[in-house]
Amino acid sequence: MESASNHHSQPPFLAAEGPTPSSSAPAGPSGFSRVFVTWFQRLTIEHRVLAGFSLVFVGILIVSAVSYHNMNILLANRGLDGRSQDLIQLLSNVAVAMSEAEDTHRRYLVTGEASYLEAYKKVVKEKPTFTTYLNDLIRESPEQLPRVGLLDRMMDRQLNAESKAIAQFQEGGFRAVKKMAFEGAGKRELGVIHQIISEMDLHERQAISRRVVESAAGTKTTIVLLCSGALLQLVLLAWVYYLIRHDITERRRIAGELQRRGELLESANKELEAFSYSVSHDLRAPLRHIDGYAALLRKAVEHSLNDKAARYLQTISDSAKQMGQLIDDLLVFSRMGRQEMLHTAVNLDQLIKNILSDLRLDLQGREISWTIAVLPEVQGDPAMLRQVFMNLIANAVKFTSTRRIATVEIGVEHPSSTEIVLFVRDNGVGFDMQYAPKLFGVFQRLHRADEFEGTGIGLANVRRIVHRHGGRTWAESVPDNGATFYVLLPMRRRDS
Amino acid sequence: MTAAKPILLAEDNPRDAELALAAMEAEHISEKVVLCHDGAEVLDYLYCRGQFKSRLKGNPAVVFLDLKMPKVNGLEVLRTIKTDANLRPIPVVMLTSSREERDLAESYALGANAYVVKPVEFHKFLSAVKELGTFWGVINEPPPENCRSTH
Repeated sequence: MESASNHHSQPPFLAAEGPTPSSSAPAGPSGFSRVFVTWFQRLTIEHRVLAGFSLVFVGILIVSAVSYHNMNILLANRGLDGRSQDLIQLLSNVAVAMSEAEDTHRRYLVTGEASYLEAYKKVVKEKPTFTTYLNDLIRESPEQLPRVGLLDRMMDRQLNAESKAIAQFQEGGFRAVKKMAFEGAGKRELGVIHQIISEMDLHERQAISRRVVESAAGTKTTIVLLCSGALLQLVLLAWVYYLIRHDITERRRIAGELQRRGELLESANKELEAFSYSVSHDLRAPLRHIDGYAALLRKAVEHSLNDKAARYLQTISDSAKQMGQLIDDLLVFSRMGRQEMLHTAVNLDQLIKNILSDLRLDLQGREISWTIAVLPEVQGDPAMLRQVFMNLIANAVKFTSTRRIATVEIGVEHPSSTEIVLFVRDNGVGFDMQYAPKLFGVFQRLHRADEFEGTGIGLANVRRIVHRHGGRTWAESVPDNGATFYVLLPMRRRDS
Repeated sequence: MTAAKPILLAEDNPRDAELALAAMEAEHISEKVVLCHDGAEVLDYLYCRGQFKSRLKGNPAVVFLDLKMPKVNGLEVLRTIKTDANLRPIPVVMLTSSREERDLAESYALGANAYVVKPVEFHKFLSAVKELGTFWGVINEPPPENCRSTH
């Protein structure tokens, strides 16, 4: 029994130990262990630790159950041993008592002495007690039951034969029982009784020695199981400890790495800030000087200035101004990427209204048909989103300037519950779709400077802002047939 | 009375200084301008020491301060002026190329009276300097010289 459960407890331990030294992939029962190893490698650290602790727990349960079982057997055997000893004692008492009954009745038959009769009667009186005790003691060993029955019958027959002899003696005197007095009335039965008793005695002694062997074996397996269980659990716990420790070390290393990168990024950002500050301050001064001295020169030579020279001076001034504009745009673009972002509800309807009111000077003398849908509220930075739509609407107005009647449509689409797409559509000059990827780049222009003015920073700002809001931008167009600019924004707040 | 008070222009860049003076010349206030080439000179002037040891006593009508200057920069000069009870009443106008928010914020926090970004285009620069010179040097009534006694 215990050996069976011992075998039963082995496979999980072996299987659990298998993957720890992963280098030695066992070639023998490889099917199961290979499946197990691949399954194990797919587990997360939490599941591995949980698996380890579960195996330890199962191991403890099995070892406890087997130990409990063996202990029970030991205790039961001890009880049985006690009974066997009692039975052996009782049997020898019965043997002595029955021999005495035979002896005393014979002495009475020969001598007629009443004291022998008394001793005999005492044995007769004790006989039922013997029977009760015997039956009580062999309750646990059924193989002794027929022997006890035979013994009981033989004892009855012996005592009956002896009682009959005593009765004949009392009626007919010594002569009537002479033969019996010499031979003994129950001699034959007594012989059988002794034989049965010695058989029973032998049986009990054999049972005792069998149980001794059995208990010793049980104790030994318990000890072996306890030791091996403790060892395996120790190995498992060490493995779990290794897993946890390895994981902690890894996490600590990653945290350190993250911090180091964060610091690098921060210092890079600081450098960039210092750089753009210096650009803002130092690059503007020479431009101012170019324009200033060109103006002073114009003033100084005003009277002798011909048209050509005047145009040269004008070009110098214009170029300086243009470069000033480029620097300003670049600074805004760079600031747009670094600036802290707000996350509030932005009413797009109101936003568009404000933009159109700000643009009214540019709209003077233009005939534009506006189609503006009812726009929803979105989450984001109001100033940045204003810049996005300001750029898109100003572009639409700018690139429809060649149309007699311009049409500009501002609309909204709901592709999914988590996203919203806003678009600005115009009937302007449009662009060739093969240049679409360049559209949102910094200082990328698809039109010549003398066609439409601008530095080419507007759509780059649009893309940067929309990206910071977790969205996307794209555009569609047919040359000379209008363009549509799309802005996709996530509806839920993005924690960046 | 205001005519007697000079305008202190702190400008390290000689070209910027020349352009500014050219602008003020048109308004006939350039002769009132005292030019300092760095922050240390501004402080020397205000405290009548160094090359300005023997100048006429009295504070200027206004100080036009560039931010980025050698030796002592504009913000340091501003801090010194606004922490000195005798100098604090002098109007200080920051005249700079920087439109960085932190420069603006710090200047006003230290007590600057105005902050003007030098325009790149000369005609705008011209009109800005003219207006500044006229306003602070002519129109604006500077604090009386004895106002320090109120502190």
